[in-house]
Amino acid sequence: MKMIEANKLFKKFADLQVLRDVTFAVEQGEVISVIGPSGSGKSTLLRCLIGLEKINDGKIIIEGLDAVKTGKKAYRKMGMVFQGFNLFPHKTVLENLMVAPMLVNKNNKNELRKKSEKLLSKVGLIDKKDVYPSKLSGGQKQRVAIARALAMEPDIMLFDEPTSSLDPELVGEVLAVIKKLAEEKITMMVVTHEMGFAREVSDRVFFMDEGKILTDSTPDEIFLNPEEERIKLFLNKIL
Amino acid sequence: MDYILNVTGYILEGSLITFKLYLATAVFAVLLGIFGALGKISNIKFINKVLEIYTWVFRGTPLLLQLFFAYYGLPIIGITLQPFTAATLTFIVNYGAYFTEIFRAGIESIDKGQYEAAQVLGMNYRQTMVRIILPQTIKRVLPPTSNEAINLVKDSALVAAIGLGDLLRAAKVVVTRDFTITPFIIAAIMYLLISSVIVTVFRQLEKKYSVYE
Repeated sequence: MKMIEANKLFKKFADLQVLRDVTFAVEQGEVISVIGPSGSGKSTLLRCLIGLEKINDGKIIIEGLDAVKTGKKAYRKMGMVFQGFNLFPHKTVLENLMVAPMLVNKNNKNELRKKSEKLLSKVGLIDKKDVYPSKLSGGQKQRVAIARALAMEPDIMLFDEPTSSLDPELVGEVLAVIKKLAEEKITMMVVTHEMGFAREVSDRVFFMDEGKILTDSTPDEIFLNPEEERIKLFLNKIL
Repeated sequence: MDYILNVTGYILEGSLITFKLYLATAVFAVLLGIFGALGKISNIKFINKVLEIYTWVFRGTPLLLQLFFAYYGLPIIGITLQPFTAATLTFIVNYGAYFTEIFRAGIESIDKGQYEAAQVLGMNYRQTMVRIILPQTIKRVLPPTSNEAINLVKDSALVAAIGLGDLLRAAKVVVTRDFTITPFIIAAIMYLLISSVIVTVFRQLEKKYSVYE
């Protein structure tokens, strides 16, 4: 089943054309890495998929639902993790996980607590459940953010440069969690600059440049013998 | 000593008006400020404009002028208010304008990422404001709100100008009658006491809200 279908997406900020004619589809359980130089539209693409930005033209179908027309019901099938974590600072770690399911899904509080604690165990932070986010390291914050997104039980996870604002020694713990999710066959799109991770975890890699998906290929194809000159240049710079 | 107790008792009676005015203003001006701030950050152009004019006028003219306008001015166009009503309404609207600006700035200081996180988690606008944005705003607006709370104690003395027997006016009555300076000193001490209580309350609040720092 197709989880995401993007058809001829166009997005413009003022005079800047950020997405031009982006078309792709993601199957159930697929892990997609989106790489490319900064300003190529990677983040904007994710933000458009989940409705944080309005597309100017095109169609986004999430599990068969036209996202723009359906709105919330379609967007709620996705969870998102941000580069800057965006945890709620006035809520404890556990409350961060519980607040949305409680308000939005009206879950039973006790069951929800158990489920949230389970998620925190999964990301290795159950011992931090009662502390405030300010007491956590960047890597821990991002793991909480991942658990918080999972608490809404999304079918699809979108990661927008989840490790870009982390100190190098903290990147690994976050990638490990994402890898674990990949093994569980959660459909994911990950915008990343971690080429090792992209190569190891993804089923397909999108290389974006100037608002277009330049290539849509397997990790081996793109990392071992990239065809496009543009990609070779990029990979040389980054590796 | 008896004299001082007597005078203090008399001034305390006057302070009743001050307290009533203070409470009414604090409660309703804060409410007005919250809704004013939400209106100011809303996308409804008409409401933005109306609130813009509101804060411009009420922050840009003297409180005493507004007080005179309500009590001496409005009767000319047929609206006669009791002194206490006129004073309370004026104070609420005046302080509401300040709170509108303080809360607006507070809300706008919250990172955009907080709205986005709430949105992708499926929260609607009301849930986002009530559960995520406003609680964080409270912490940020406590210091300026504390300033206003202290200003309000002192501004309340202005109501003497439209003949209300508040704390200051009671003191002045005794000074004129007995030709002694003591009542003013007693009044000053009372104002200081009230201000100190307010400062303490806000310090406690700030402490309470600093747990998540």
